[in-house]
Parts: sequence; C-alpha cells; structure tokens
Amino acid sequence: MSEKLTYVVSVSMALLVHLAVVGLLMANWSADAETEITTVKPYYIEAAMVAENPFTARQRKEQETRLARAQQQETARQRQAEQQAARAQADKSARQEKEKALQDAAARNERELARLRAAEQLARVESAKADQARQAEAEERDRVALEQSLAMAVSQEQAARRAITDDEKAMAYVAQIQRDIISNWSRPPSARNGMEALLRVFLVPTGEVVNVVVERSSDNDAFDRSAMQAVTKAGRFQVPPESRQFERSFREFTVLFRPEDLRL
Amino acid sequence: MNEPLSILELILGASVVVQIVMAILVLASLASWVMIFQRGFALASIRREATQFEQSFWSGTDLREIYQELEAREEGIIGMENIFFAGFKEFNRSRQRENVDPDRVMQNVSRAMRVALSREEERLETHLPFLATVGSTSPYVGLFGTVWGIMNSFRGLATVNQASLSVVAPGISEALVATAIGLFAAIPAVIAYNRYSAQVEIIMNRFDAFTEEFSSILNRAIHDG
Repeated sequence: MSEKLTYVVSVSMALLVHLAVVGLLMANWSADAETEITTVKPYYIEAAMVAENPFTARQRKEQETRLARAQQQETARQRQAEQQAARAQADKSARQEKEKALQDAAARNERELARLRAAEQLARVESAKADQARQAEAEERDRVALEQSLAMAVSQEQAARRAITDDEKAMAYVAQIQRDIISNWSRPPSARNGMEALLRVFLVPTGEVVNVVVERSSDNDAFDRSAMQAVTKAGRFQVPPESRQFERSFREFTVLFRPEDLRL
Repeated sequence: MNEPLSILELILGASVVVQIVMAILVLASLASWVMIFQRGFALASIRREATQFEQSFWSGTDLREIYQELEAREEGIIGMENIFFAGFKEFNRSRQRENVDPDRVMQNVSRAMRVALSREEERLETHLPFLATVGSTSPYVGLFGTVWGIMNSFRGLATVNQASLSVVAPGISEALVATAIGLFAAIPAVIAYNRYSAQVEIIMNRFDAFTEEFSSILNRAIHDG
C-alpha cells in the first residue's frame, strides 16, 4: 500500500467513525431528554402557588374545601330531581369553572355572581316543587355568602401579595409548614364547624418547635389540645437558612385552626 | 422549552466561545483518528516487510543478490531493508578503495547503519507526538469550554428573579457537551499513543538486533578476506 493511499483510507475511516458516533447520539438523545423535562416542571408550580402568608392561606384553603363540600351536597340533592338534574349539573359545572377563575381575579367576581344568581333563579322558576325551590334558595344564600367571603379572602390575599415584595422563597416554606401541620392534625369528635383556635408557635433557627401557646381558645379543650398536638407532633419545620428571613417571619408565627369542612 | 433538547440545538445554542472550542475539538478528534488509522496501516506494513526481509536474509541467499534486488526496486525501501541497504552500500564503497583498514570500513558501515536506523525511528514515530498532544490537552480544552459556558449561564441566572433548575440546566447541559467532545477526542488518542509507542519500541528492538547481527556478518566477511 502506498503512503498516499493509506492516508486516503484513514481519512475516510475517521470520517466514518465520527458520523457513526454522531448518528448514534442523535438516535439515543430524545428518550433521555424527555424524562428530564418531566422532573423539572413542578418547581414552577410549587413556587407560584404559595405566595401568601399562612393565615390567609389557611383561610383560603378552608373556604375552598367548604365550597367543594357545599357543591357536593347540592349535587346529591339535585340528583333526586330527574329532569332538573341534568340541566342543573351543566349549570354547576359551568359555575365551577367560573369559580376557579374567581380565585384568580377578584374584579370578575361581581359580574360572575350576578350571572350565577340569574342562572339559579331560572332553575328555581323551572322547578315545580316548592320545597325544592326553598332548598335551592337556601343553598344559594350559602353560596353567595361563601363566595363573598371567598372574594374577600382573595382580595385580602392580593393585597398581602402586593405588600409582600420580599422573596417568594419564604412562601414555599410557609406552604410546607401548613402541609406538615395539616397532616399531623387529628380532630376530636367534638370538633364543630365554626370553632377557632389561634396558636402562637415559637421556633428556633433549626426549625424545631420550642413552644406553643394558645392565643385564642376555641372554648373546647379537646379541640385546643388537638391543635397543639398537631404542631408538637410535626416537631420540626423546614425554615429558610438565612437568619434575616427566619427572624422576620419564622421565629414566631400564629396558626389558625378552623375545621370548616365538617358536617356538623 | 417543553420539547426535549436535541443535541444539535444544544450545540447551535451554545455561545461563540464554546462553539469554537467544540469545533477545535471535533477537528482534533478527526485528525487524531486519521493518524490512528494511518499509523496502524504503516506500522503493520513495516512489520510485515521486516518479517519478509528477515526470512529472505536468513534463507542463505547471497547478500549481493538481495542488495541488487533492492537497488533495482529503488522505491519502498523501508524499515529493515533500508538499514541493510545503507550498510551494504557503505561496505561495498569502502572496500572498493585500495588499502583500506578493515576497522575503518566497519566504522563507516556502522555509522551508515546508525543513520539509517535513526531515520527509520523517525519514520516510525511520525504523528505519535500529535496523538500525545491531543490526548493530553483536549480534555483541558473541553473543560475550558464547559467552564466558560457554565460561567455564562450562572451570570444569566443572576438577573433572574426566581432561580430554578430549568433556568440553568440548558446552559450547563450545552456547556458539558464541550467536555464530552474533549473526552471523546482524548480517549482514543491516548490509547492509540500508548499502543503505538509500545509497538515502535518492539520494532526498534528488532532493528537494533538486526543491525548488530548484520555488522557482525560484515565484520567476519572483511576480516576473512
């Protein structure tokens, strides 16, 4: 083999090797990348959702659950009415969507309320039975009250959000603390809707709970105890590592316990 | 952002410095593979020819015949043939002069063979320094590209309000491609360098042994008359 020929062969073989490697890389790349992307997504959601302080967050959450509960009851009742049921159901699902939108924009709330009321009125007119109409009306009143309080909570929250120009990172910790407390809270059988217990919690910079006191009692010892137990059982919360942030909002904070989602 | 990043996008989206680094590394890798194949062929052919030559040398043929055959060929005299050719040519030339001291003749012959030997060594070792250079420096070049890319993506992170993994991840990923290419270029080059330098060593030992044997044969011939 002459020298020149060996060079020609070598160059072509080197090119072949590189093309093969690039081809393999292209073929195997997409599958790996997809799994990466799915794991990345939730970070955004978590950070965006928790931009509020624990007080309003708790209120909002409870109001949401109350709303959901009311809707469930309504559904059960309306199913008894044969013809009306379908129409009301459609009506409700439309409303549900609107209510979600409500949480986002408080301004749209009023217009939506009017619409909802009109729709409900229509349903009432069409229903033959008087007691059913009364029921619906009562339900409606409940809902209006709920929605108004919700709107209030939303506007409060927005105001709070506007006021809080600080790091949103702190809010992730608040949400985590809230979740921890809820998961550790077992309510006594004597708990009733409308009970409220306000606790003040003291933390040390490692996140450990050093003290819990009842700031405002619910006048039910079992309920107060269960609330205190929820905090002490959680024992330790995740807190921001920066001491400035910790001192400002996590050294001591209040937690409102209010079981709005009970049937009684 | 949602669709998976393809490697092509990563490379095209990289900053200019990183792209230059990648281009250099790809060229280095291509060149080193060319050298790897070329050296492989060249060393194999030199070994083959040495074996053939040794066979014909020790087969008992007249050395003059082998010499004439090589002289007629003129081209492709490499390796062991070249050493033999240089030595025998010098031997003949020195002996043709009148009243020459046999020791002087042998000195001249061994000098000629030493020159041929060093020329052969040079020929054997062509491109090996290049492989060594690629093998030792391309990881650093790739690392430079990566460090530059990560520097940039962190600088971009400083202006973002909400730091999240998905802000930095693409930048780091595309920066790491540079290191990957650097390693891809370096690993074969290092392996080939080690392998070929060991082979060159073995071939050179063979040449040395042949040189010694050949000069002892010539020595005997000149002293016996």
